[in-house]
Amino acid sequence: MAGYQSMMPNHEGEQHLLAAAHHVVKALRAAKNLSDDMRKVLGDLDGHLSKMTGNTESRGGEFVEIEERFKRAENRILRWESNQTMIWDTGTEEVSDYIGAVEEIQTLIESLRRLSVKGNGKQKEILSRADSALQMTMLRLEEQLIHILVQHKQYFEPEYVSFHSCQDVVYDESYVSVEDESSDESSRRVNSGRVSGEYIVDLIKPHVIPDIKTIVNIMFGANYDQEFCEAYVGVRKDALTEYFVILELEKLSIEDVLKMNWRTLSSEIKKWNWAMKIIIRVYLASEKNLCNKILGEYGTISSFCFVEIAKASLICLLNFGEAVAMSSVQPEKLFRLLDMYEVLEDLLSDIDGLLYEEAGSYIRIEFHELLRKLGYSAKATFSELQIAIASNTSIKPFPQGGIHPLTRYVMNYIKTLTLYDESLNLLLLDQDSDHSNPVLETANEQDASSVTFCPLACHLRSVTSALQCNLFDKSKLYKEEGLRHIFLMNNIHYMVDKVKGSDLRLFFGDEWIRKHNGKFQQHAKSYERATWSSVLSFIRDCPHSNTFFKATPKERCRGFNLAFEEVYKSQTQWSIPDSQLKEDLRISSSLKVIHAYRTFLGRNHISDKYIKYSVDDLESLLLDLFVGSPRSLHSSQKR
Amino acid sequence: MPATDYQGSFLGRISIRRNQVMSMEGNHEQELEDLELFQKHVADRFADLLPPQPSDETHADPLLSISWLRKLLDAFLCCEAEFKAILIMGRETSQILKPPLDRLIPELLERTVKALDICNAITNGIESVRHYQKLAEIAVTALENKPIGDGQIKRARRALNSLVTAMTTEDKDGNNYTRTWSFGRRGAASGNNKVTGQLRSLSWSVSRNWSAARQIHALTTNLVAPRGGESSSLASTVYVMSTVMLFVMWAMVAAIPCQERGGLATHFPVPKQLAWAQSMIVLHEKIGEEWKKKEKKGSAGLLDEMQKMEKLGQSLIDFTDNFQFPAEDERVEEVATQVAELAETCRKMQDGLVPLQLQIREVFHRMVRSRTEIHDLLESNGKLSAPMV
Repeated sequence: MAGYQSMMPNHEGEQHLLAAAHHVVKALRAAKNLSDDMRKVLGDLDGHLSKMTGNTESRGGEFVEIEERFKRAENRILRWESNQTMIWDTGTEEVSDYIGAVEEIQTLIESLRRLSVKGNGKQKEILSRADSALQMTMLRLEEQLIHILVQHKQYFEPEYVSFHSCQDVVYDESYVSVEDESSDESSRRVNSGRVSGEYIVDLIKPHVIPDIKTIVNIMFGANYDQEFCEAYVGVRKDALTEYFVILELEKLSIEDVLKMNWRTLSSEIKKWNWAMKIIIRVYLASEKNLCNKILGEYGTISSFCFVEIAKASLICLLNFGEAVAMSSVQPEKLFRLLDMYEVLEDLLSDIDGLLYEEAGSYIRIEFHELLRKLGYSAKATFSELQIAIASNTSIKPFPQGGIHPLTRYVMNYIKTLTLYDESLNLLLLDQDSDHSNPVLETANEQDASSVTFCPLACHLRSVTSALQCNLFDKSKLYKEEGLRHIFLMNNIHYMVDKVKGSDLRLFFGDEWIRKHNGKFQQHAKSYERATWSSVLSFIRDCPHSNTFFKATPKERCRGFNLAFEEVYKSQTQWSIPDSQLKEDLRISSSLKVIHAYRTFLGRNHISDKYIKYSVDDLESLLLDLFVGSPRSLHSSQKR
Repeated sequence: MPATDYQGSFLGRISIRRNQVMSMEGNHEQELEDLELFQKHVADRFADLLPPQPSDETHADPLLSISWLRKLLDAFLCCEAEFKAILIMGRETSQILKPPLDRLIPELLERTVKALDICNAITNGIESVRHYQKLAEIAVTALENKPIGDGQIKRARRALNSLVTAMTTEDKDGNNYTRTWSFGRRGAASGNNKVTGQLRSLSWSVSRNWSAARQIHALTTNLVAPRGGESSSLASTVYVMSTVMLFVMWAMVAAIPCQERGGLATHFPVPKQLAWAQSMIVLHEKIGEEWKKKEKKGSAGLLDEMQKMEKLGQSLIDFTDNFQFPAEDERVEEVATQVAELAETCRKMQDGLVPLQLQIREVFHRMVRSRTEIHDLLESNGKLSAPMV
C-alpha cells in the first residue's frame, strides 16, 4: 500500500486510460447482439480490468466516479436555483428527484471526506463545491419547511358558546331584584366548558407530515438540526401567537389587570378560563403530539422544541392568573376566582403531562403555585363576605319592612356558592385544620348527614348568622314594633325559603330549617301581639283590667275604630312580598280581630249609628293590609 | 443595648426584640439601628458589584454580564428580605397607617406592581437573547468546520446577518422578538402581510402601548428622600428599598432587550451625598454613559455577552464577505480565535440565561409575596384609604 501511495501521481494518465477501457468494455457488454464467445471474452476482459483498477488505482477511480456523480447531482440541484417555485408544489416525482440528489450529495461528501484527508487540491475543491451545494439545498429545504408549515397549518376552532358559568352576584342597593336572575345557572354550570371528545387535533394537515419528516431527517443528517429547530420553533410559535388573536386573547400587564373595573375583569377571567382549557387541553396537547410525530426520533429535542414553542404563551397565561390572584379581595370576585381555581385544578394533570420534562418543569411548578394562590385568594374573599355583611350598616329603616337587598344578595350568593362545594370544602378544610375555627360546630348529632356538617356548611351557617345579626340591627331602626317584626319575619322567611328551595337545604339541614321556621313564625306572633293587643283591648272584656270597664260600649267602639284606622293607615303601607305568608298572617290576624269584634258586638247592644264597620267590612279591610301602598279610612269611609 | 452584639444575626435580633417590651424611645432607637444596618448592608452589597480597579488582579464579572446581573438580582433579593423583615416582623404595625407611611407604603406597593411588569418584559427579553444565542451557535457550528468551504461560509454568513439584524432592529422598532430567521429569502409568508402585521403588534411582551422606559420613569415618581418631619427611620427604610428597586430594574432594562426603551432615563434621582447610595450612583453613571453611546448606535442592549456577540458577529461577517477559497492560513487562525470567543460567549449564555430567567421569576414571586404580606398587614390594621393598585 505504501508503494501505491507514491506511485499514484505518476500514473494519473494510466488511471484514466484504464477507467476509459473499463467503460468501453462495459458498454460493449451491454450490447444485445453479441455471440457467446464474444460475451465470454469481454467478460474476462472486464474481470481483468476490474482487478487492475481495483488493485492499483481504486481510489483514483473512485474519485473520478464521485466527481461524475457529484456533477450529476449538482445539476439536479442547480436546476432549481433559478426556479422560484416551491418544490413540494410541483409533484412527487420532482420532490423525490430533489431529495435523491440531496441524499446523493450527502453520501458523496462523506466519501470525499474520507478521501480528502490526504487528498489533493482537486478533491478539496470538489468537497468545497459539494458543501456549497449542500448548503444551498439546506436553505432550500428550510424554505420548503416554512412554506409547508405555514400553508398547511390548521386551527382548532372551538365553540365559544359551549362555556357557561354562573353569573355575577353583585350587591347593589338600587337594584332590588337581584333575585332569581341566576336561578337557572346552577344546572347549566355542570360540566361547563368541557372540551368534549378527542382532544388531539391536527394543527398541520396530516398529509404533509411525511414531507416534513423527510426534511427533518435530511437536515438532521446533514448537521443542520439547529436551523431546522429555529425555523420549526419560529413558525409554530407564531402560529400559537396567532391563535391567541383568533381566541381574542389580549396581553395585559399586571397593572392593567389590577386597575380594571370588575365587569371587564370578570369577562376577561371567563375568557381566560375558556382559553386555558382550549389551549392546554387541545392546542398544546396537539402541539406536543405534532412535535413528537416530527421529532420523536431525536430524543429530547422534541420536548425542547415544544417548550420553546409554548413557553411564552404559557407564561402569559400564568401572569394573568397571578394578577387576578393578587388583586384586591371583593366578595363578588369569589365565583370567578373559584372558576379559575376549578379550571386550573382540572387542567393540572394535563399541564404536568405537557411539561414533565426538565425543560419546562419550572412552568409546571408555577402553575401548581398559581393554584395555591388562587385558593388562598378565594378563601380570603370568602371571609371578606362576612366582613362585608357585618359592615353593611344603614341609617334609615328599610321602607315597608320588605326584604332587604342584603338578604337577597347574601342568599343568592351562598346559593351560588354551593355549586363550588367540592373546591370550597377542600379549601376550607385546609383553613380549619390550620387553626381551630370557632365557627365550626361539632357534629355530635347522630342523624346528621355528612353534607350538613362539611366545612362549607358550617361556614354557610355562620354567614347566615352574620346576616341575621345585621338584620336584627337594621330592625332596630323602625319606630313601630310591629314593623320591626314584619321586617324580621319577611327576611328570615326569605332565607328559609331560599334554603328550602335549593341545594342549600342539604347544607343547612332540617334542624336549621325547623329552627328558622320557628323564628319567623315567632316574629309573626310578636307582630300580632304588638299590633292587635292594644287595638283589641278596647273591645275585649278583660276581667283583669279595669281601664276600659268604666267606659261605655259606645266609647269603646269609638276607641276601637280609631285604633283600627290607625293600624289600617300605617299597615297598608307595609309589605309582605310572599303572598302565602301575607295570606297566612291576614287570616290569623283576621281570626283574632273578627272573633273579638263579633263577640264584642254580640255582648254589647250598640246602636247601629255608632257601629262604623260591620264584621264584613272589617274582614275585607283586613285584606288591604301589607300591600305596600298607603290607604286611609278617615275621608272615604266616614259616616 | 450595643448594636454590635447582634450584628451577626439580623433576623435573630429582631426576634429577640419582639419578645421585649420596649418603651417608645427604645423602639425609636431600634428603628434607627435597623435603618443604619440596612443602609450598611445595601452599601456593602452594591460595593461588591462595582467594577474592579484596573490595578486589581482579581477576575471579577464584567459589568452587565450575565453573571453580574445574577449577582445584582441576588443583592436585590437580600435587600428585599431584610426590608420586609424590618417592615413587617418586629414593628408595631399601627405605625404604617400613620403619616408619612400611610402614603409611602401604598406608593411602594404601586412601584412594586410596575416592577412586576418590568420583570415580565425582561423574562421575554431574555427569550430574544436566547434567540441570538441560537443564531450565533449556528455560525459557530459552521465556522468550526475544517477545512472551511464556501458552503459553511455561506451558512455562517446567513446566521450572522440574521443575528446582527435582529440585534439592531430590536430596538429601532421598539419591538420585542423580531424574528428575522423564520422567513427565508423568498419570503414563505410574503403573501401573508396582514398576519405578519398582526403578529408584529402581538409581539408586545407585556401589553399594547406598554413601555419599559415609561415604567422606569414611573418608578421615580414620588421618589423623594424623606426630609424634616417626614424623615422617620421607617420612611427612610422605604426610601432605600425603593431606590434599590429602581436601580435594579433600570439596570436590567438597560441590559436586556425590552419593549420600548426609547428615552430611558439616564438620570438617577438620588442625592449625591447619601453614603449608602455611593456605589449605586457610580454604577448608575457608568451604565448611563454606556446607554447614551448605545442609544446613538442603536443596538439591542448593554448585556456584556450581547455586546461581545455583536462585535464578533460584525468581524466574522467581514470575514465571510471577503472569503475566497481556499482560505489563507493566517486569516484562518485569526478567525478561529474569534470563533472560539463566540463559542465561549454562547456557552456563557447557554449556562447563564435560563438561570437568569428563573431568578427573575424568583424576584417576581418574591415581590408578589411581599406585596400580599404588606397588603394583608394594612388590611388587618384597618381599611386602606385608597383602592389598591
